[in-house]
This record gives sequence, C-alpha cells and structure tokens, in this order.
Amino acid sequence: MTPLHEGRNYPKNLLPIVGIVMSCLLATQVLAADKKIPRLSNGKPDFSGIWQSTSAADYDLEPHSNRKDAPPSAGSVEGEFLPYLPKALTQRQKNFATRATDDPALKGYTLGVPRGIYYPEPFQIFQRKQDLLLVHQFGHSVRTINTNGTDHPKDPYDWWLGDSRGHWEGDTLVVDVKHFNDKTWFDRAGNYHSDALHVVEKWAFLDPNTIEYKATIEDPNVFSRPWNISVILYRHREKNFQLIEDYRFTLDYDDNYPPKPNKP
Amino acid sequence: MLNASIIKTSEGVMKNKMIHEKLALCGLVLTGLALVPLLSFAAEETKPPAAQPRPAQKQLVLGGPGIEQERSFPKIVSGKWTGPKTADGQPDIQGHWSNTIANHNNFTDPQGGIVNDPNPNRVAKSARADRAPSRVSYPADGQVPFQPWALEKVKEFQAHFNDPVKPEYIEPLARCAPGGVPKSLYWHGYEISQYPGYVVFQFNSGTRIIHLDGKPPLPQNIKLWNGDSRGHWEGNTLVVDVNNHNGKALFGRSGEFISENGRIQERYIFSNDGSRYTYEALLTDPTVYTRPFTVTVPARKWTEKDQPNGWHYEVEPATHSGKNLILDHYERICAENNGGFGLVAEEGKK
Repeated sequence: MTPLHEGRNYPKNLLPIVGIVMSCLLATQVLAADKKIPRLSNGKPDFSGIWQSTSAADYDLEPHSNRKDAPPSAGSVEGEFLPYLPKALTQRQKNFATRATDDPALKGYTLGVPRGIYYPEPFQIFQRKQDLLLVHQFGHSVRTINTNGTDHPKDPYDWWLGDSRGHWEGDTLVVDVKHFNDKTWFDRAGNYHSDALHVVEKWAFLDPNTIEYKATIEDPNVFSRPWNISVILYRHREKNFQLIEDYRFTLDYDDNYPPKPNKP
Repeated sequence: MLNASIIKTSEGVMKNKMIHEKLALCGLVLTGLALVPLLSFAAEETKPPAAQPRPAQKQLVLGGPGIEQERSFPKIVSGKWTGPKTADGQPDIQGHWSNTIANHNNFTDPQGGIVNDPNPNRVAKSARADRAPSRVSYPADGQVPFQPWALEKVKEFQAHFNDPVKPEYIEPLARCAPGGVPKSLYWHGYEISQYPGYVVFQFNSGTRIIHLDGKPPLPQNIKLWNGDSRGHWEGNTLVVDVNNHNGKALFGRSGEFISENGRIQERYIFSNDGSRYTYEALLTDPTVYTRPFTVTVPARKWTEKDQPNGWHYEVEPATHSGKNLILDHYERICAENNGGFGLVAEEGKK
C-alpha cells in the first residue's frame, strides 16, 4: 500500500501542528454535536421537557436588598426599575405593603404570564408542530401557545394566561400574548398590571438544556413605556424528575373530603 | 373587563351557556340560603322533560344539541389497532372527545337527574329501562358495592346535596376542584393530545398527564386529585393504572367515592375508525367497597364536521388568513379556582 501523502513534501516540523489543528477541529465538532439543540421533525427547536428558573424574579423583579420574605437580588429587569406611571406607582406601593395577604399566588390563583415562567416551581412543555402546551406544576394550569399560523381571536374574553400566538424567527419562538385579566401580579412584591397587558416573549435555546427567556411587557394603563425582562430556564435533569399535581387552591377546603367512617 | 366581554358577546347560546354554568358554579359557596336557587340553576343543564302526565321520550341525536346524546351505545372490544399512528408509534387518537350519555348529576342512573331533586320539573319521568344504563356495568345490579358505612355516607350526601348545611355536602367540583377519576370523563368535553412518552387529557377541571415513559410511580404518600397515572398501549387499548388518589373527588352529584387506598385500572378501548372509545375501569378499594367493580363510560370524538356544542365541544373558529377551518379552544381555568367566592362575587363588589 502506498501512503496517500507519499511523494508530497510536507515539512516534517509542521506535522505536529497539523495534528493539533486536526484534533482541535474534531473536538469542536464533538462539542458542536453535544450542543445540538433538540428539534421537531419539521426542524423547529423542540422545547419539550421540564423547565425551571433559578432566578429571584418571583420574589421581586426589581433590585432589592434582603428582607424576611426575599433573598437579595440585582433584579431581572433591563434598566433595573419598572417605568410606573405616578398613580400606578402608588398602587404598587400599596400592593407591596399588603403582599403577605394580597399576593394572588398565595391564594392559589393562576400565575399569569410571564410570572408562571419564573415562579419557583417546574413547568413542563409538551410540543407539537401546531402548538406548545405548558403545564405549570403550580395550580396545574395549562397554557397553549398556538404555532399554527392563527392570530388572536376577534371577540376575546379576558384570560388569566392571555391568548398566546407564536411564530418562529429562525430558532427563536416569538409569542404575542394579550387579552389578560387584571387579577395577577408579576411577583410577590406587588408589581402588577391592568387588563391592557401585552407581553411579547422570545424563547431561544442557549444550549440543549438551557433556554433564554425574554419578555417585553407593555401596559399603557400602568407603565410609561415598554420594559424588558430576561431569565434563564434550566432543564430538570434529575433522574426520573416529573411534575406533581399542585392544585393548592383546593387546600383551604379539601379536608372536608373524602367521607370518613363516623368515629364510634 | 370580564363582564363587559360577556355582554358584548353576540354569538349567543354557546358562550352564554358556558358562562351560565360557570356562574352557577361560582355561586356555590360554603354557607347561606342563596345556595339553594343557585344549585337548582346548576342542575338545569340536564334539561329533563317538562312535567307532563306521560311525556313523549325526548329524541337524542349524536352530535346534536344538549348533553344527552344517546341512551345505549356500542361495545368496543380490545384488539389490533389499524388506524393512523403518531410518530412515536402510538395509535393517534388526538382531538376533542366527550361522553355520550350524561353529565355527573347521577353516577348510577346517568339520565335520571339529581337524586332527591326537590324540583318536580327536573325529576326524570321515563321508565328506568328507557334511560341509559348505570355506569356501574358490573356487578349486574348497577350499584357500587359499598361497605355499609360508606353507603350510609353516600346516602347522607344525597340527602343534603340540595341542602348543604355542612361543607362536606358541597360537591367539590362545584368549587372548581379537579373532577378526578373517573368523573372528568363525563364533565364537559375534553381534549386528548399525544407526545412521545405521554398522553395528556385537558379537562375543563384539571389536567391528567398519563406517563407512558416508564418513569417510576410517585411515592405512595403523595395523594392527588387525579391520581398518578402510568399507562401503555395494547393494540387499540390504552391501559392505565391509577394510584395515589386523594379520594376527595366524588363520582358525581350522587356522592359516590373512592378512598386514598383505592386503585383504578383503566382501559380506553378505541374503535379503529377513531370515532369512539369505550372506557372500562376496574375499581378496587378494600376501605370502601366489598368487592371490585367495573365502570363503563362511552365516548365519541367531536371534529370539524360537528357543530360546536356548549357542553361537549366548546370550540371557536380561529382567526387566520386561510380558508380551512381551524378551531380554537380557549383557556380551561374554572373561574372559582381563583378565589373562594369566584369571579362573580369579586366583580360584584366593584
């Protein structure tokens, strides 16, 4: 057998360098294979899995020192603070003062958007070509993001989780969410919105097990301009991790059931 | 705001009906005389024949208006699946489904109305044999084989359903608790979707995730409204073992129940044309029953060919530029689950 390179005159001192370059290329390829994001059969990114944020966003979206009901955090908002209209800021301060009783999450209310995404409980995404189904462990509430080319309904209600219509911009899922009610908060610090809330979400893989979630939030009744948040979502990779029903709004009355034998 | 959007809605019957039911549910609060008329209102959805000496039997139409769609139904047997499959090899049975005989008013006499209903206009007038059979398909007497203490509790619940002087006499679904197993299968229509390793049921009250993924069941002390569901496919049959029940979800307004020690072995047997399934479940509970018994619930698929139905098939045409019909199903969040007294009371305060 004749070696392929026979007759070619490679300088011998370059061979080790070629070797290093080759192995680097190989390593990069292996790394790239590792980082290959999951995709549906139609080629779109597949976000199926169980996700959760480790951020302190649910305690308070804005920067804050430690306090008894929250760890300190530099916040999750671009520009640090929410651009409240003066009157709305007063309401926010009232909400903050009564947060220990008035936070809708404490009553077991559906968390809304985007709070459900960064609330410290897992949620599971079930994805098909035409939609994504988000099941939040908290309240086991279900949100559908339509990716079937449909638009918001012409005769909408006000919904807890709004109406979500998504489309793909490259590998980023962009979701327009509106038609909300005014009964949810953004966090347990009393940051809030009206039923004019409009959220535009952007979901993109940073790597196969990490999603960067961004949202632009506007509400002309409460804020002077749109503002942005960003949180990272991590895939639950614990062995056999699974959602567990958490219908906590039933806890206030479920002791009445089931029937039990009369005590003698 | 919510009220405004209800009022401005002009599409009428379906939305209004949905709202009415929700309002009725929302009104079911712990105490107070206001309960009685609201309960009666909630019960009206059964639309039994008006009081007449001997009324002509109401004609039932599959896919027609109303909740009751048929009085008898074909039996589907387990066997091969010859229909379409999902990419991961499951029989593809995705879509909107609903039971065909009745709501949860009465577990063992599904078209018989609410037990002890004080309103004579709502009491079924037809002969028992002219109504759909008991959901208890075995033993043959159609009754749940309760232990004496449990039967006493069920009768107590039935005696007080229309006069709920204690919280335990309020059907928990009226407070938006998840319907549980098996009641969710005869409480409004629902949607089944499939994913690799999962079958997901989206009910109006609660969501069931059925694991086909081989993950181990949850620890026994974790008790759940919908139980812990582990399933697999055998030909045309989805076989599901349901444990970890919290025992709190009643089987209907007639008060039947299972305890935390119960086990429900389900078989969803699909017809190969994909149009129907028969639900057969074996319920075992040494704490409450004297022997295992079988529950049968017939269901049919609802598709674009059907008219929307405010109980079975709550869909709306989606907004899009194409000419084909795409249907939306709006948010499934029971109003009352967001507050002890529901949206109605809350809106009323304003």
